[in-house]
Amino acid sequence: MNKPEKVTLFIQCLVDTVFPETGAAMVTVLESLGLKLDCPANQTCCGQPAFNAGHTREARAAAVKFLDIFEDAEIIVCPSGSCVNMVRDHYLDLFADDPKMLVRAQAVSRKIYEFTEFLVDVLGVESVGARFPHKVTYHASCHLNRFLGIDRQPRTLLAHIDDMTLVEMKGADTCCGFGGTFAVKYSEISGAVLAEKVKNIVDSGAEVVTGCDMGCLMNIQGMLSRKNIPIEVKHIAQLLAEK
Amino acid sequence: MSTIAPEKYKENASKNIADPVLQKALSGLQERLGPATENLYNSLPEGHKMRTEAHQFRRKAIDNLDVLLSTLVDKVRGHGGIVHFAKTAEEAVEICKKIALDNDVKTVVKGKSMVTEEVGLNLALEKEGIEVYETDLGEYILQLSGEAPTHIVAPAIHKTRREVAELFTEKLGTPYTEDPPILTRYARKALREKFLKADMGISGCNLACAETGHIVTVSNEGNIRMSTTLPKIHVAFMGMERIVANLEEQQSILRLMSMGAAAQEIGGYVSYVGGPAEVDHGDGPQEFHLIIIDNGRSKILADPEFREMLCCIRCGACLNVCPVYGKIGGQAYGSPYCGPVGAVVTPLLFGINNSADLCAGETLCGACKQACPLEINLPRMLLALRSKLSEGDPDWDVQPKSKGENLIFASWQRFNSNRKVYDLLLGLMRVLQHLLPAKQGMISRLPWPLSGWTANRNMKKLAPKTFMQQWREKKEKKGS
Amino acid sequence: MEREKGEKRLMTTQKEFIQDISTALGRPTPVSVDVFTVAPTTAEQDILKAVRQRSSGERQPFIKTLQEVSVPLHLDFHPERSLEDIRQAIITLILEKDPEWGTKKSVVRWDHPLLNSLNLEAAAELKDIPLYITNHVAATSSADDLQAQRQQTRKEVEASFIGITSADYCIAATATLAMKTRPGQARSVSLVPSIHVAVVEESRLLATLKELYTLLKWDEAEQAEGLTNNLSLISGPSKTGDIELVMVHGAHGPRELHLFVVSDHR
Repeated sequence: MNKPEKVTLFIQCLVDTVFPETGAAMVTVLESLGLKLDCPANQTCCGQPAFNAGHTREARAAAVKFLDIFEDAEIIVCPSGSCVNMVRDHYLDLFADDPKMLVRAQAVSRKIYEFTEFLVDVLGVESVGARFPHKVTYHASCHLNRFLGIDRQPRTLLAHIDDMTLVEMKGADTCCGFGGTFAVKYSEISGAVLAEKVKNIVDSGAEVVTGCDMGCLMNIQGMLSRKNIPIEVKHIAQLLAEK
Repeated sequence: MSTIAPEKYKENASKNIADPVLQKALSGLQERLGPATENLYNSLPEGHKMRTEAHQFRRKAIDNLDVLLSTLVDKVRGHGGIVHFAKTAEEAVEICKKIALDNDVKTVVKGKSMVTEEVGLNLALEKEGIEVYETDLGEYILQLSGEAPTHIVAPAIHKTRREVAELFTEKLGTPYTEDPPILTRYARKALREKFLKADMGISGCNLACAETGHIVTVSNEGNIRMSTTLPKIHVAFMGMERIVANLEEQQSILRLMSMGAAAQEIGGYVSYVGGPAEVDHGDGPQEFHLIIIDNGRSKILADPEFREMLCCIRCGACLNVCPVYGKIGGQAYGSPYCGPVGAVVTPLLFGINNSADLCAGETLCGACKQACPLEINLPRMLLALRSKLSEGDPDWDVQPKSKGENLIFASWQRFNSNRKVYDLLLGLMRVLQHLLPAKQGMISRLPWPLSGWTANRNMKKLAPKTFMQQWREKKEKKGS
Repeated sequence: MEREKGEKRLMTTQKEFIQDISTALGRPTPVSVDVFTVAPTTAEQDILKAVRQRSSGERQPFIKTLQEVSVPLHLDFHPERSLEDIRQAIITLILEKDPEWGTKKSVVRWDHPLLNSLNLEAAAELKDIPLYITNHVAATSSADDLQAQRQQTRKEVEASFIGITSADYCIAATATLAMKTRPGQARSVSLVPSIHVAVVEESRLLATLKELYTLLKWDEAEQAEGLTNNLSLISGPSKTGDIELVMVHGAHGPRELHLFVVSDHR
């Protein structure tokens, strides 16, 4: 694919409200590659939390709004694997019985990309000239890795960050226990799964844990903070924006 | 011994998470089997397409179940077997009971069979004064201790060697030892006596082959072969979906099942049983009964959303990778079917409403689908179940689960559909969050309905400005 | 609806049961569907051809494979290849191994041409050890006689600490023995004695399970015989990991499985 004229940003709600620095870092990286960016001001959540909790009606309403806002975009880029999985795959499930909406969902499904996927697969970029002299471990989030099949792309980008040491944690692709409302409704189970993830992160000896999904990273950060473990959590865009 | 109590999911999970012995057993099991199975998949001589094809074989079988079962039944009868049909659990139990009573059966030996657990066979036979012995070592240990299984393939994995030693000393009167080989020998000796005196052997059916007319059983211990070779009557219980059309398809799924179940190329003992022993053969059962069981499966079959679940062959591969199962163990599911497979099958067989926690209590990480030898899409079906629970479904007799949660999501949707309202609400929350206990920008206690989050983690505060606001300001600055 | 003998009408009939399934499938009137395979694929024809044309030399690598896979399976693969050496090795096993239950030794074996040619019965070293053959049951016997003959076989199998069988096939990749049921070849010989000794002809070696199933499915002789009412595939001795995942051999079936392959050149 040729370099797009204009990239439309879809900012995950968590990034928008809690981790805006992640969005800013993504903007820095994309602009440094000479891309023109657009960010629809009226966007909100894609509906994933509602969908995963079984509230299909509400998820469908969010999807309709999303399609209204984004269907004219040339290409959509989002800093979250699970949101892309929602729009790319589950919107099609939501509108399986509505041929008109399905066509619209399919069109958007074809032009939405996760941030690292966009860099590597669409732009063919492997290095953005970043430098980050720290020990980092990578958490391969589930929706990104298993459902979108994106793993090579973030790892390629990480491998090209200067002076950074990437240390592999045990079970990098094991779930962190987030699961949306699951983390709240079944906090004890979620916490047990998360505790193992946190242990593996600590055992890796990393100073920073990174990934492509702020949901998982927020979850990990929550327990690191609770246990007073001085390991930082950074979205991959933040590492790529470091010079 | 299984009772159906999925509503105790949270309570049981909590207990099991706090049990260090179980935690060690579960992680040991997952670390051993999960990667070993994956390695076998990666070295399949037929390549990755073998699993996709196997899924199609199963799907074809399920989509033509009426034809395949009729063929199987004709062939088994042709081989001299007797076939029974059970619409319900009660009926299956009645049929077996009648065979036992008609033949004056005193002792039954059983190979591991989940469907007999599902229908509650043992208790019914024991009420008639028949001695029933589970012969799989793990199942035997649980029968002696009166516990429910932790794992489909390794049911007693939660028992330490010390607990088994104490149990055997108490129940079998054997000298105390914590040596697994010696403990195994004690069970071997005790059960050998039962095998030799039993007058009925009961097995399940892993996967029947319609065209040849055989049921197939698999074990590593040899207990199923013993149970189906020595007693004069063999009764096989078969869930009606456990069938495939052709021998070549059967072998492909059988091999994948062995990989999923125990990371083996093929189970130690595989038996194709087509009927009773021929009169001039030296041994083998003189009667072969096949009980084909529906017990809610035709309802699953009729629903296109869940039909895929009937492709499952209960190998347990999904248990060996599931992060949730790895913490809570099989007993937490309150059903003979545990783990990710149990989270879908239990609600479909025993009621969606009382299994609500099983439907909602997973992370949807997709590890189960990836580990399934047949690539069954369990996460998709969990989502479908959750949807039924939130909206209700008269076909499945589902009442909307929680009015409170529905209200929360309905209001969420209203805020979410209008950015101005959304921002107003965020502004309000940004003010209110200062009332919450926090340290270095991390909230340590959130109010209901988010309090679960801060039970074991902190939560970063909402940023002073949203990304959207920053973006707008950046644009305005550029524009001025 | 006509009922088969022995299937007394308890509740659900076959017709009702299948009808419910057809209804669930959305086709209440039965349809004829094409789900069964009637001819081998090209790949399967190639396998059949390869197996039939395989020379003794081409089978030699299977011996090495068997040696290798035997180790993790805990199977004793013996190097002896000539009938005479195998005979001697089996005699040694009988003399040196101890019975698991009780102290008296006896051995049971199939009535099978290959095993008959071992002529263990003539071995002077074994003169004090009963050697049973599971060939009591005759199709022509009366029902009472059949029962008595079966009981005799059962008694001898139970008493024996070693059971000797052959096999229809032996699959190199997984060290799997495939055995159909036949007169004179009791199933329990490979199951109830503590030690199972299997002697197979080299010509019965196959490379993979896929080859086995292709033969079972498409070879004319195999088709004519069918799988029989009991086809058993045995890969290694009985085992369990049910106590703390510690692998123990000898759960309920044989604790040891000794495999001999008889060379074609004898």
